[in-house]
Amino acid sequence: MPNEFRLRAIRYAALQVLLGVVVILWLVPLYVALIGGVKTNYEATTTPIFIPPSIPEVSSYSYAWSQLHLAFVNSLIIGLAAAVISAFLGAMAGYEFYLISQKHFKVSTIVFTLISFAMFIPVQSLLVPLMLVEVKYLHGINTYYGPLFAYLIFYLPMGAMLMSIFAPGIPRYLIEAARIDGASDWTIFRKVALPILMPGIISTFIFAFVLIWNNFFLAFILNPAPAWRLVPYIENTYIGGYGILYNKALATAVLASIPPLVIFIFLGRYFIRGLASLGGGAKGI
Amino acid sequence: MLIPALFFAGVALYMVLWNIYISFTNWSIFNPKPKFAGLSTYTALFHDMIFKLGITHSAIITAVVLVVGTVLGILFAGGLYFLKSNVQRSVYLSILLYPMTISSASAGLIAEFLYMRQIGIDWLLSMLHLPAINWLGTSLSSQLSVSLIEIWALTGLGTLFYLAAFLNIPKDIIEAARIDGASSIKILFKIIIPNSLSGFIIASSLLFLFSFKVFTVPYFLGGGFTNYYLTTATMYIYNAWFGEHFAEASADAVIITAIVTAVVVSYATYLLRKISRG
Repeated sequence: MPNEFRLRAIRYAALQVLLGVVVILWLVPLYVALIGGVKTNYEATTTPIFIPPSIPEVSSYSYAWSQLHLAFVNSLIIGLAAAVISAFLGAMAGYEFYLISQKHFKVSTIVFTLISFAMFIPVQSLLVPLMLVEVKYLHGINTYYGPLFAYLIFYLPMGAMLMSIFAPGIPRYLIEAARIDGASDWTIFRKVALPILMPGIISTFIFAFVLIWNNFFLAFILNPAPAWRLVPYIENTYIGGYGILYNKALATAVLASIPPLVIFIFLGRYFIRGLASLGGGAKGI
Repeated sequence: MLIPALFFAGVALYMVLWNIYISFTNWSIFNPKPKFAGLSTYTALFHDMIFKLGITHSAIITAVVLVVGTVLGILFAGGLYFLKSNVQRSVYLSILLYPMTISSASAGLIAEFLYMRQIGIDWLLSMLHLPAINWLGTSLSSQLSVSLIEIWALTGLGTLFYLAAFLNIPKDIIEAARIDGASSIKILFKIIIPNSLSGFIIASSLLFLFSFKVFTVPYFLGGGFTNYYLTTATMYIYNAWFGEHFAEASADAVIITAIVTAVVVSYATYLLRKISRG
């Protein structure tokens, strides 16, 4: 049936073309930011945004970096600390959750709902009590531990949730065998569960780090002083008012996106696995 | 070993209860010593024009992102499903997912640029002899412009969960249909999509939860908090708090929390049943 064969080939070609267009469309914003950042400000505000500059120049990048480098260090310190804690304590919670979920279905449903709730509640909705706690009791404005505390409210439950999806990967008989040998719960976690859970922990760590790095609202309300600013706060200084510096704004957007993008390009598998566990894991992807 | 995670989740829950308490008082810059005020804060809230704008805008954006994200997610996942090369499939999926790693702050800065008159997307439209779009000129077009950025950011999420559901369907059913002479499109609509209920539930809850909290993109596009074309339900909390109308801020937060909780509870119980089924 050569005719049907040809029809199938044409359909497949059409699919390729359509998907190719979609993929290009999805890359357009990144392309626009990349070429806009190397234009002069005059060119950035007068030439079409899709046309590369006549002569690329990097002065807006050096300006953007001079505004950004301190925030980069702050964001790295707080982001790494919060992500490591979220992944590790989340792994402990996920392991324990796995143990109790077999025996007490009701308890585990409540625990799972509570941690999903903390993970998905919009950050803004805790604003009033959070600021009371941070200002009055913790004195956490313009510090490292203030944002760290706030991130852990949302991202440690997230770590626990992702890890409870990964934890059933531990074979039950290994835990039973260790228990018969007289190992304590903590030893079993450290010696048996932790090595098996490592890929899951890396996924959780990477996923949490990217989300924390990108969280605008907490960075905006908690660390406004120049020496303590975080990366999203600096991006906010380019909006509104008159005479927006478009080329510098785009250079800043690109620089701010480099850590998550580099992680995604080199460790995308882990990131996608972290994302997929929000739906109970995705086999075959 | 659950204690640290439960502690912080408990803090979140405690703060929600705290919000509920504050919302029943009259705490504001005018009443620094809060007194019980019953439901009066809520009545005031429902007469507040900016609150109504915010909740309407959030509803529009969420609805558009949910519908478009679902339709595109299903179509893209269907397209990726029929690709013959696994490498190509995972590269394409990654390209649809990379916006999840771009912060909404960066997306907001880029969006300002895309929506510039004459030299932004308008320039592409004029090349195609299409009329320019008044991106941020009217209330409705502003919501659609925000939605477009959110669709760019979140469609990959929908695609991922639909594709996962599609790949979960036993191959022999699809092979059998193919031998019977069914076309790929027919297989997609008659076999694959009807058997992907789990993908639908997960993808739509996540699309809802991620788009309903929209804050940063309209904040960046509006150039701050004072642009009421671009205010949302979550932005109202910040506005009220900044103006030291704490009770109003908390009452809005309680309403948002109630909506989110309804979705989270059904999502979490569904997900838990899905995992325990294995």
